[in-house]
Amino acid sequence: MSDLTFTLIEFGIKAAIIINIVLVMASVEVYLERKISAWIQNRVGPNRVGPMGLLQPIADVVKLFMKEDLVPKAAFQGFHRLAPLLTLAVAIGVYAVIPYAHYVNIGERTVYWGIAPNINIGVLFILAMTSIGVYGITLAGWASNSKYSLLGGLRSAAQMISYELSMGLSLLGVILIAGTLSLNEIILFQRDGWYGLRWMVFLQPVGFLIFLVSSFAETNRTPFDLPEAEPELVGGYNTEYSGMKFGMFFLAEYANMATASAFLSLLYFGGWSLPFPEFWDSIGLIEGTWSRALLQFGSFFVKLMIFIVFFIWVRWTVPRFRYDQLMNLGWKVLLPLSIINLFVTASVIIFFGL
Amino acid sequence: MNNRKNTEAERLTFWEKMYIPEIARGLGITLRQMFKPKDFVRQYPEQRWEPTGSFRGRPVLVEEDGGERCVACGLCARVCPALAIEVQAGETPREKERYPEKFEINMLRCIFCSYCEEVCPEEAIVMSKDYEIVYTSPQEAILGKDELLVPKAKLQDRLEFLRQYK
Amino acid sequence: MPQFEFDGQLIETKPGKTIIEAAYDNGLSVPHFCWHPELPVAGNCRMCLVQVGMPAKDREGNFELDENGNKKINFIPKLQIACASPVQDGMVVKSVSDEAIEAQEAVMEFLLINHPLDCPICDEAGECKLQEYSFKHSKGQSRFDEEKNHKRKRQLWGPNVVFDAERCISCSRCIRFAKEVAKQDVLTFVQRGDHVTIELFDGTTFDSPYSMNVIDICPVGALTSPDFRFEARVWELSSNESISHFDGTGTNVYLGVRNNEILRITPRNNMYVNKYWIRDDARLSYDFVNKNRVTQPLINNNGTLEEANWEDAVSFAASKLDNFRGDQIVFVASSKATNEDNYIFNKFANEISKTQNVIYFTHTDETRIDDLLGVSDITPNTKGVEELNIGKESKIKPNDLAEKLKNGEIRAMYVMEEDFEDYPEILEQLKNLSFLAVHSYNMNKKINHYADIVFPASTFAEIEGTFTNLNGRVQHFTPALVTKENYRFMGMKMSRLDKFGADNDRWTNHEIRDSKQSWKIIQKIAKKLGEDWNYTKSSQVFDEISQNNPSFSDMDYKKLDEYQGLVLGKGNNPDAKQVNYISHYLKPQQTQKVVKFKG
Ligand code: SF4
Ligand code: SF4
Ligand code: SF4
Ligand code: FES
Repeated sequence: MSDLTFTLIEFGIKAAIIINIVLVMASVEVYLERKISAWIQNRVGPNRVGPMGLLQPIADVVKLFMKEDLVPKAAFQGFHRLAPLLTLAVAIGVYAVIPYAHYVNIGERTVYWGIAPNINIGVLFILAMTSIGVYGITLAGWASNSKYSLLGGLRSAAQMISYELSMGLSLLGVILIAGTLSLNEIILFQRDGWYGLRWMVFLQPVGFLIFLVSSFAETNRTPFDLPEAEPELVGGYNTEYSGMKFGMFFLAEYANMATASAFLSLLYFGGWSLPFPEFWDSIGLIEGTWSRALLQFGSFFVKLMIFIVFFIWVRWTVPRFRYDQLMNLGWKVLLPLSIINLFVTASVIIFFGL
Repeated sequence: MNNRKNTEAERLTFWEKMYIPEIARGLGITLRQMFKPKDFVRQYPEQRWEPTGSFRGRPVLVEEDGGERCVACGLCARVCPALAIEVQAGETPREKERYPEKFEINMLRCIFCSYCEEVCPEEAIVMSKDYEIVYTSPQEAILGKDELLVPKAKLQDRLEFLRQYK
Repeated sequence: MPQFEFDGQLIETKPGKTIIEAAYDNGLSVPHFCWHPELPVAGNCRMCLVQVGMPAKDREGNFELDENGNKKINFIPKLQIACASPVQDGMVVKSVSDEAIEAQEAVMEFLLINHPLDCPICDEAGECKLQEYSFKHSKGQSRFDEEKNHKRKRQLWGPNVVFDAERCISCSRCIRFAKEVAKQDVLTFVQRGDHVTIELFDGTTFDSPYSMNVIDICPVGALTSPDFRFEARVWELSSNESISHFDGTGTNVYLGVRNNEILRITPRNNMYVNKYWIRDDARLSYDFVNKNRVTQPLINNNGTLEEANWEDAVSFAASKLDNFRGDQIVFVASSKATNEDNYIFNKFANEISKTQNVIYFTHTDETRIDDLLGVSDITPNTKGVEELNIGKESKIKPNDLAEKLKNGEIRAMYVMEEDFEDYPEILEQLKNLSFLAVHSYNMNKKINHYADIVFPASTFAEIEGTFTNLNGRVQHFTPALVTKENYRFMGMKMSRLDKFGADNDRWTNHEIRDSKQSWKIIQKIAKKLGEDWNYTKSSQVFDEISQNNPSFSDMDYKKLDEYQGLVLGKGNNPDAKQVNYISHYLKPQQTQKVVKFKG
């Protein structure tokens, strides 16, 4: 068999596994969201379906599938159907470039963990995909032919465009320091120094904060969930969706949250890298073995989960911004701050070298 | 004149204006909440709650001496903001000449505002303690007189509560 | 002409008028129960007490002035009843002074002593004068805490009137009406003081054909109609202005509608037609609108009438009618249909079927004739059809229709809103026709069985149009019921429940019929036959009538509404507008002004 066939099989298997992981992650997130919000509100949360309510997400999905799928008469039928698909597809597509661990050697082959973690435009790809996500939401708002949806869709477009700027600019700091757009290489940079702890968060604290705030806005999570602000807009862009179409938006939202968490841990917290790489080498868990890869995956997963929990925790703590506050923060605070950050980073690199 | 003086925003200290420490503080509060015991949560279907007289559950008709108190005056139907009530009067040989031939409340419309109870001149419609209101079809949710009539004895709490405010 | 001052307003009036009349003529009102403009004055309720005075004069005949230079008024020490005090020149009347208000409140408290707190049960609630005055002219409190008087309830006075003695406030309006208007002097007060009540003379019943008017004029709910009793609360009804369809008088009416059904008909004031009254038979004549209606076009298929859609029915009728022209076909117009319908029907016959054979039939009942509103004609528009020159040139006359049908000279007939129920000899011969098209209201009419096609015609309650009464008064009316055709235009004219009900509400499960106004049906057929008439509203048809027919010249709907109808040939010379006294309001009025009743 040719090399290409092998590559295709390898990628197929990886894609299948990753899609499943993403969807399972989404339901885990839903469960966590419900549990944590309950705890914060002095409730116990789901506890009926399965032990400790663990099967609640499955019940949720079953419910969504069984629900009647209503499409408003005046909606633009095609686009109305397309929007959730687009949103979900984009949300899952992002996972193509995320590295979960380094690699394992299977016979001759070096199999990287992740579909294309080494692609040299990884960061760009993610930025591009997340901006396409706006289309899904705006399209949903417009195609529903309802005031609430339209306002929600427009808000989300405005919000995403505003925050994408500062997000991109704050990322540039990381890219300048690492000198690459490939995600794996950024992780390698963070691993190779300071005993494996040369995490970008220490080099770019301001950039990290900006990125954190922007990713809240990008994922439409409280305190920036204006596109679906229930008290004002009923449900925003997804007002007119029901059944599994609504479910798709729901999934996409949680997938996006996971993406943002993954991105945060990759760019600023060393991703899959393990601290003290020499120690692991010395006890025989060298790169390329399964055990090392699994440990790395564990490291990545723990960071990911911490961020997800953080996202949920923030949602149930901070109230929603007002729209003008949102825009003020985006354009008058975060954007200048990220430009200054970029400027300082660049100056330091030029004058002091790295 | 500067009329924006002393707004909430201007009374904030510098660190409060920086958001982040305050957000961290808020996160701390919610974190503490998470680990508090949840022992006052009621396990609903097993542990039921008996509401007090002030509770506004499903509106029902008071049954007294084997008949309804209602004289089908239609005031509740008129005042109901959700148009949930339909009354059709009929004539009886009883002393109160009028009785509801048909009295229906559409529970899909009812918003439990208790206006009907308040307007009723005969204290004939009151809010019961019934909060388990589940139907499997829209038709089932339209309650007729047979489902609405509840003996007066069962509504004592509510009637007493109403007396207090008469 | 005497001038007097009423609550600071200078009013000029004709000599001999009472204060209350002069006030009403000028759009002002005095609270009252027993006074009614068409009844003799009784002056027994004392609700209309006002302060009356004359300017003081000194010995020389000059007006005395007070220190501010205003005329000094000598008020009569006791208050006077406005309904029985004639106006004098220079008189000063105060109906809202402290004394007058105190008196009015005292009278209200007195009347309410024995009046039961029956409003939830009482049919009058919502349009009750006593209720209305309890808000406007009463303290809202009673010092009477003894047991109220109990009297007989539910006494049948006649076939159409139920009397509840407890609620009566002894204003005697009903007694005076029976005696003076209905000319059936059977009622009288018996007993005295708080035991006073009304009884029929022994061995009589109150069965005058006008008896139900006492229900309207009774200021409280003492008199109710067995027909409408407990049927609906008045605020649930929409109350739409219309013209009675029952006879040639052209009685002005309100149609009380709920759930797309007429629940009652009440008279509407028109001083030139029916004043404040309506005959009982006209009042009770709404069943044909509510029940047994043809709701869809029906096509006769070998003896059974089968429902068809409008498109098919119109094509069918058009293709058939196309075969018969000139003398083969007879068009039967109707004095039950509006001027507009008859005009278009006639136009269809003349221009499309090329025939002059348009006839109409009269329907009479000689027993109805009396000198108030009773006329023998029991159709609303005989005069109008006559005035539209229908049947003038017809070769076939109504009398020989049966004969001609029998010998087969007539092969087709197009009958609009006519049922021949009282012409059995014609009904019998209809079987000889090769084609019969009918516009029909009801399913139970015999003519439907002979028809090849039955179109569902809208009744007067569902259309806009004009009737011409026997005195030549053209009167305009608008729809009160909803059909598929007028659904979108009815809006605020529907009752609250009908307006806001959703499809799944039982109280809006009314039938919305697919009937159409006759001229619209005819226009559809004309279109099929290639004639391009483009009338969209009845008003366009009426404007055309008004242009072509000198009797109707200078008339349009707006003007007809403004003057409550115009007499034929006097389109530019309308009768003077009259003051319409309104005794009962549906809602308490904000101002003292007499405002035109709006549903
Ligand atoms: S307000 Fe009371 S008496 Fe009147 S219809 Fe309603 S329940 Fe009956
Ligand atoms: S509680 Fe309110 S909404 Fe419900 S029936 Fe009574 S008046 Fe209507
Ligand atoms: S029944 Fe009515 S109209 Fe007759 S006296 Fe009594 S209150 Fe007046
Ligand atoms: S209206 Fe004058 S006394 Fe009754």
